[in-house]
Amino acid sequence: MRSLRMPAVSGFDEMIGPASEVRSHYAGYHDWLLRQDSRDLQRKRKEAELQFHRVGITFNVYGEDSGTERLIPFDTLPRMIPAREWALLERGAIQRVQALNLFLHDIYHDQKIIRDGRIPAEQVFGNAQYQPCMQDVDLPNQVYSQISGVDLIRDGEGTWYVLEDNLRTPSGVSYMIENRRMMMRLFPELFAQQTVAPVEHYPSLLLETLQHSAVHSHPTVVLLTPGRFNSAYFEHAFLAQQMGIELVEGADLFVKEGFVYMRTTAGPQRVDVIYRRIDDAFLDPLAFRSDSMLGVPGLLSVYREGKVVLANAVGTGVADDKSIYPYVPEMIRFYLDEEPILANVPTWQCRRDNELKHVLARLPELVVKEVHGAGGYGMLVGPAASEQEIEQFRQRLLAAPDNYIAQPTLSLSTCPIFVDEGIAPRHIDLRPFVLSGYDTRVVPGGLTRVAMKAGSLVVNSSQGGGTKDTWVLEDDPC
Amino acid sequence: MKLSIRHSTEYRYSELVQHSTQYLRLTPRPSPRQQILSWEMDLPEQAERASDGYNNILHVLTLDRPHQEIRLAVKGQVEITDEDSEDADQRLSPLVFSRFTALTQPDEALLELAGRQPQLAMPARLERLSETILEEMPFSPGATDVASSAAQAYRGGKGVCQDHTHVFLACCRALGMPARYVSGYLYSQDSEHVASHAWAEVWRDDSWHTYDVTNQTCRPRHHLKLAVGLDYMDACPVRGVRFGGGVESLQAVARVRQSGSPDSQ
Repeated sequence: MRSLRMPAVSGFDEMIGPASEVRSHYAGYHDWLLRQDSRDLQRKRKEAELQFHRVGITFNVYGEDSGTERLIPFDTLPRMIPAREWALLERGAIQRVQALNLFLHDIYHDQKIIRDGRIPAEQVFGNAQYQPCMQDVDLPNQVYSQISGVDLIRDGEGTWYVLEDNLRTPSGVSYMIENRRMMMRLFPELFAQQTVAPVEHYPSLLLETLQHSAVHSHPTVVLLTPGRFNSAYFEHAFLAQQMGIELVEGADLFVKEGFVYMRTTAGPQRVDVIYRRIDDAFLDPLAFRSDSMLGVPGLLSVYREGKVVLANAVGTGVADDKSIYPYVPEMIRFYLDEEPILANVPTWQCRRDNELKHVLARLPELVVKEVHGAGGYGMLVGPAASEQEIEQFRQRLLAAPDNYIAQPTLSLSTCPIFVDEGIAPRHIDLRPFVLSGYDTRVVPGGLTRVAMKAGSLVVNSSQGGGTKDTWVLEDDPC
Repeated sequence: MKLSIRHSTEYRYSELVQHSTQYLRLTPRPSPRQQILSWEMDLPEQAERASDGYNNILHVLTLDRPHQEIRLAVKGQVEITDEDSEDADQRLSPLVFSRFTALTQPDEALLELAGRQPQLAMPARLERLSETILEEMPFSPGATDVASSAAQAYRGGKGVCQDHTHVFLACCRALGMPARYVSGYLYSQDSEHVASHAWAEVWRDDSWHTYDVTNQTCRPRHHLKLAVGLDYMDACPVRGVRFGGGVESLQAVARVRQSGSPDSQ
């Protein structure tokens, strides 16, 4: 490949600037790319696919035929972030997660933010994700969300925004680690050429975070999975293996005399910390959904007495709910007395009459989301929707305005991916993983998700999105 | 009024149960309305005492040796004082009790029921609602089961105290009024009447007010409260999960008598 041809970019591209110039932090990579034979690159793409199949990194897709396992498309062109820019994102993500943890502690204790009139009481207590069983329960270090995924996007100008916070059971970190391993295997010369901040230590930081969340030292930590039919089962097995802890299902644990035990061949063993990848509703069939076969009967009673730690805590969903999202900047000011480093996407709350009117008048331009939805389901992307789809959504909105928020359609920045013709821009986002133990830390980078279809803004892996390795360049050439 | 309570619940299984865990809400919490003079539980094994999110007293019973029956017995004496409203428990926001649950989700028919008599002012409107519910779904054991939702029971036009309470809760919440489920015991001179009982409390004027739809009373003079919650699932006296056991049969006997009366022995 002698020259680099890429279809025109309409918004902000991570690699190519507005005058078609290669951005300075991509200069080294670009030079390397020009020296490559396109057949070599093609071969490496095939090799990556083969390797991922062999390692077993697949993703179960709900709603398709049973047992459908799909490979998440992986693109070998890295998404790069200069050190200086990352420093800002890191501080912003940490600030945000600290405020969200303080918010959770507050609403489950004194509720100062509500008494101070910053957030309406009914927004919190009327929210199905507010768990009454957590009221006045004291948690070690007052940490609710030990593992948080903060989804970041950039608009057409390149400005960063937080799209949403994920404080329940954020997934995807295994792809961050595996993508890096794959890139190092395929292109070792690239890593010799420039300093890319490491991510491989994430499992040891995670284990440390989980251990720090326990009341006493040398705790027994386990990972609780819903089982192999869960879409993220690969990740559960991967993380447990990387951390050297037991991967357990609900039936492997039981509650007796006020503690949680794991069945082992050597008899019951007490469990101190459970990294649970099961939603609140399924954790304890005696307290939540009685039809849950995934949880541990009695778990909540032990948890409330402080005899076991759950990561993340029960009831974190009230803080990452889309109806609470508009209040996060206010939380940062209220708890930290700081201005938010990362901006929220402007959000209209359809439960407010005047905002609903505004939204209804501009449906074709907006993105409308279900307040409790996730995974890109139940949303309307106005500019991409047909007239009929917009009308259908209008009726749903009118029937239950409280269930929806709306945001302007942000174009999302693009980053080139390899396609058969060379390279082409595709929309991306970024999910850094924030760990909260004694202190709050972020592994440099995170998971970059890619909408593999040209023009598409949906990056969710459940809807055909792919991933890229994310490089935080340690020596900023700027 | 001094009441003495005896309540025994016996589960029998067609096959061996390998392991079972129960949440028991069989111990009343003392309050100015109800003074607990004595209370004893007789369980197959020692249970862990805890509390749940609604501040109910909870016992967690784990049986991890194979068993074919579980017998739970309680007895006690309490003194009920005649007071109009409950103490405001300020720990949990009453707004929590505005949310619908699977058992109290209103359908069209329940929304229509809730919307009746809009001209009536608030306490009167709720009393009218309570009357209407009992008229339209008379007390009839066996027509519903513990898993019936408010919408199902109302559609069937029959029910027991649990169904009356769920329908009432669904309507109150549809009207934007926080309302909660109460499970407990009821004293009745008519010994045929069920002693294990459920009723509702509605949050108005900064306190909880009783609405016993089944007995058409707002004065909980004969009511001993065991537990509160969003619905039956939160407040029920026994909730368990078992591994194995086959078919379950249940026998429950609850008797509430006035202490000092001739039949209290």
